[in-house]
Order: sequence, then C-alpha cells, then structure tokens
Amino acid sequence: MLKVNKLTKHFGGLVAVNEVDLHIDSSEIVGLIGPNGAGKSTLFNLINGFLKPTSGEVFFEGMDITGFKAHDVSHLGIDQSFQASTLFQRLSVLDNVFIGYHMRYKTKYWKRLLRTPSALKEERAFRKDALEILTFMGLQKLRDEQAENLSHGHQKILGVCMALATKPKLLLLDEPVAGMSPTETETMIELIRKIQEKGLTIVVVEHDMKVIMSLCDRIVVLNYGRKLMEGSPNEVLKSDEVIEAYLGKAEI
Amino acid sequence: MTSPYKRIIGLTVLTFILAMVPLIVKSPYYMHLLIMVGMNAMLAMTFILMLRAGLISLGIAAFWGIGAYVSALLALRLDLSFWMAMPLSAIITGAVALCIGCVLVKNPGFGFIIETVVLGEIAVLAFAHLPLFGGYKGIVSIPPVDPIHIPFLFSIEFVSKTASYYLILFLFLLVAIGYSAFYSAWTGRAWLAIGLNPRLAESKGVNIYRYRLLAFVVGSAGAGLAGSFYAHYYGAIAPTTFNVFKTIYIHIFAILGGVGFPVLGPIIGAFIMILVPEVLRVAKEIEPIITGLLLILLVLFLPQGLLSLLSRRKKNARPVG
Repeated sequence: MLKVNKLTKHFGGLVAVNEVDLHIDSSEIVGLIGPNGAGKSTLFNLINGFLKPTSGEVFFEGMDITGFKAHDVSHLGIDQSFQASTLFQRLSVLDNVFIGYHMRYKTKYWKRLLRTPSALKEERAFRKDALEILTFMGLQKLRDEQAENLSHGHQKILGVCMALATKPKLLLLDEPVAGMSPTETETMIELIRKIQEKGLTIVVVEHDMKVIMSLCDRIVVLNYGRKLMEGSPNEVLKSDEVIEAYLGKAEI
Repeated sequence: MTSPYKRIIGLTVLTFILAMVPLIVKSPYYMHLLIMVGMNAMLAMTFILMLRAGLISLGIAAFWGIGAYVSALLALRLDLSFWMAMPLSAIITGAVALCIGCVLVKNPGFGFIIETVVLGEIAVLAFAHLPLFGGYKGIVSIPPVDPIHIPFLFSIEFVSKTASYYLILFLFLLVAIGYSAFYSAWTGRAWLAIGLNPRLAESKGVNIYRYRLLAFVVGSAGAGLAGSFYAHYYGAIAPTTFNVFKTIYIHIFAILGGVGFPVLGPIIGAFIMILVPEVLRVAKEIEPIITGLLLILLVLFLPQGLLSLLSRRKKNARPVG
C-alpha cells in the first residue's frame, strides 16, 4: 500500500532521515519507534506532504506521491493525527470533524453558495456522517463543546476523529497516547483496534512500548535517521541493537 | 458557527432599523456622516473577511481606490452610467486582486503585510503620476449617481443625502449578504480553519492557497464597490485619500466593533470612530488625544471589541474568528 524508497531529508547539515526504506501492507498496524530525534515525525511529515524529501521516493497505492502538497496527499487517502493535540481550538467538536469533509463535496460551487436543496442535502448527509464518527469514537455527547474545553485525552481522540473524517485509507498516528492516563491509554488502544477492524491501515509512532506491543503486527526501529531493524514485536524486544540504541552500550 | 437562519433574521432586523434612521435624523450634515459610516463599514467588513482567512492586508484602501478610479474613468471616458460602472469597477478590482494575489498570497504572514503596504503605496503613486489618473489633483467632476427611472410611475434621483443614504444602505447590505453567503457555506468553514490553523487545515485537504486567494479577491471586489460609490458620491477623488493610513483606520473600525462580528462589528466601529471625533469637535486640539486614549482603553479592556460585551453574558457564545 505504502512504499518508501531510500527516503532522505537534510535540514542544513543535519540528516534527519537517511535512506529509509519502508513497506506497509494493507490493513496492518505498523509501529514506528526509536529514541528522541530518530526522525520518526520527520518521516511522517515526508509522507504526508508537509516536508519535501531531499531525495528518495514515496509510492502510495502504486502512485508516485513524492513531493506532493499536503492537501493533495490528504485527497489521495492519507491522513494523520498530530503529536501535540492540534485542533481548531475555537470551533465546536462537531465543526472540527466537519472540516475533514471539505474535499468531498460533489455539488457545484454556485449551488453551495446559494444553498440550493441538493447542496443542503449534501451538508446534512455530511453532518450525519460526522456524528457517526463521533459516536464511533465515543465523543457524541461533547459535540457542541468548544474543542479547547476538552480534556487532553478527549482532545487526542478528537484529533483521530478529524483524521477519520477525510476517510483515509492510511492513518498515521503520531504519539496517540502521549500524556494520557493509564485508563485513557486503554480506551485509545481499544479505539485504534476498532479503527483497524474497519479495514484501515495504521502506522503508529509511540514511546509507550505497552501500546506498541499490544497493537502492532510489525515494528520498524529508527535511530539517527536510519532504519535500525524491522520485525515482529518479540524480535525487536530481544534485539541487542535496539536495546543499545535506547539504553546505550553496556561496558564491561 | 452562526446558523444561516440566525444570520438571515439578524440581517432583516438590522435592515429594518437602519432603514428607519432617516426618519429621525434630518440634518444633511449628520446624514453625510452616516453615509460615511456605511461606506467605511463596507471596507471594515472586507478587512474581517480577509482576516478570517489569515490575511492581514494593509492595502485595502488601495483596492478601494482602484474601484473609485476605475468607476470614475468608466463614467467620464466611456460615458457609462453609475449602474454600469459600479458592478464593472467591482469586477475589475477583483481581477486586479486576482493578478496581484496570485503572487502575494503564497507567503502570508509578515511578508504579506509588508507587501500589501508597498503595493498600496505604489498604487497611490501610480494614481498621482500617471496622466490617465489626473496626477495629484486627482479626477474632478465625476458625474453623480444617475437617477433610476421607473416608467409611468416615478423616478428616484440621488440628489438628497437621504437618497444617498438609502443607496449606501443597499450597497452595504449587498456586500453583507454576499460575504455572509460565503461565511455560512463551506468557504466560510475553510477560511475559519485556515485562519485558526493553516497546517491542520491543509492536512485535512483544504487547499489553503486557493481559499486565501478567494478571500483576497472577494474582499477586494467588495472594497472596489465601496470605491465606486465614493467616487460618484463625492464627485472628486485624489490619490492620497487611498494611502496606508486609511487602511489603518479601516482596521481600527473593525477591531473596535469586534472582528468576531463580521457585519455588526464594522457598523458599530465605524459609527463610533466617525461620530466621536465630531462630538468632540468643541475641543478640536485635543480630539486626537481623546480618541487615541479611548482606543488604548478599549484594546486593554475589551480586546475582542465592543460587541464582545454582548456575548460575555451568554456562557457559550464566544465570537469565532
């Protein structure tokens, strides 16, 4: 589904991502781990179009999307939730989700501007769909609340709702449980499972190993911008290289 | 987001109240001031529209000027009536904004602010130096607004201040309804999203460049319409009217009323900023000081604008934008 070939990104002299190859199959959950500064978020931003790679290629469903703009990538079916709870703070929860329907309008511009019956019908259908997403994720009771008034955990969930609104095929989750309490983390794990059951492909960046272990089919480890290793959760946990990258080399 | 029905009811009530004003105000001088309030409120609405999309333009007055000059030239050189020149000047102003905006809107932020200042001043210099625009003296003897003849019934002439008041009221409502149509449709949502968080909006599939350009063009066309009215109402225009200081006043009108209130805010803001100095005319020397002091107090204690006083009472109603 997603194929990344020798992707490289330089920030001045710093090589944030160095010749990374990545391959993600349909409807799997892949974990992306690595110490701070390993280039995980940069890799996300190279895939979703916020950053242009220095070299290398990104293919999505066989199509070369290297260097595409973020809104075009979103149209193709890749969406993400952000590390910090990035929301439209002053909009209601429902309106936040509603932004994601932006590119799915079928009626003509002028019809929407004049609010003809067909345009209004479309709006209503979107509103219903947005409410379904909120219900699916358990936020329906908070739909009229302003996003900034939500608790941190709910804000993170709303971030995922907003990503789901664009009906992505590939969902990138950047530290979905960062700063969450253990119960909130449990809820989030459940939700991510439920999303995968709907047939979405998910890539998770996360420091919380419990989350990675319980969710992922496959784990990719990055260190200093390079791919350190790749394998099943158990393989990765036993690897000396990984332990070294996280904890440093043991000196005897 | 305000629902479209609330918007329609609000606009109807507002129209009714504003249409009643000439029954109370009889003095032509005060009528003239109210006409100026109406025109400046149109410009302040433009500022709010662009601000929603995250664009702070210091060149609004220049586009107002382009509308005025285009309308004056169309009327003088091509003998078009006001009713032809007005829509044409709005369209031409929008077209100019499209050409300039293509480049400018790419990098909003500080760069955009400075670029609009510079372009605004270039426009003023162009008005002042190109022979077509009549130099620093500007253009004089622009024909007044042509009367409307309705066969067999009556004709409306725009000689009295009251008639001009109703004309500006009509134009104001035209622009207010036009902008509101954009606000309550998907475009308004896209603008709001871009204004609040451009990166997030982009990741949700909003083409931020295109929507910012749309805001720039629509807003400039509105300013051009106001310019056309100004040229025909005054009968004479001069380049320095359209400089950056005028734009700063336009910003003040909008911010004073409250940028979260796209129609009512500009009216209140322009009304106060135009009428308070008139009331304080008895103390002409210190008038700017008092006006300035009022503004500073306002920014300190009511940063969301005067109208935020209304929504403070209601717990959840907070202005958006």
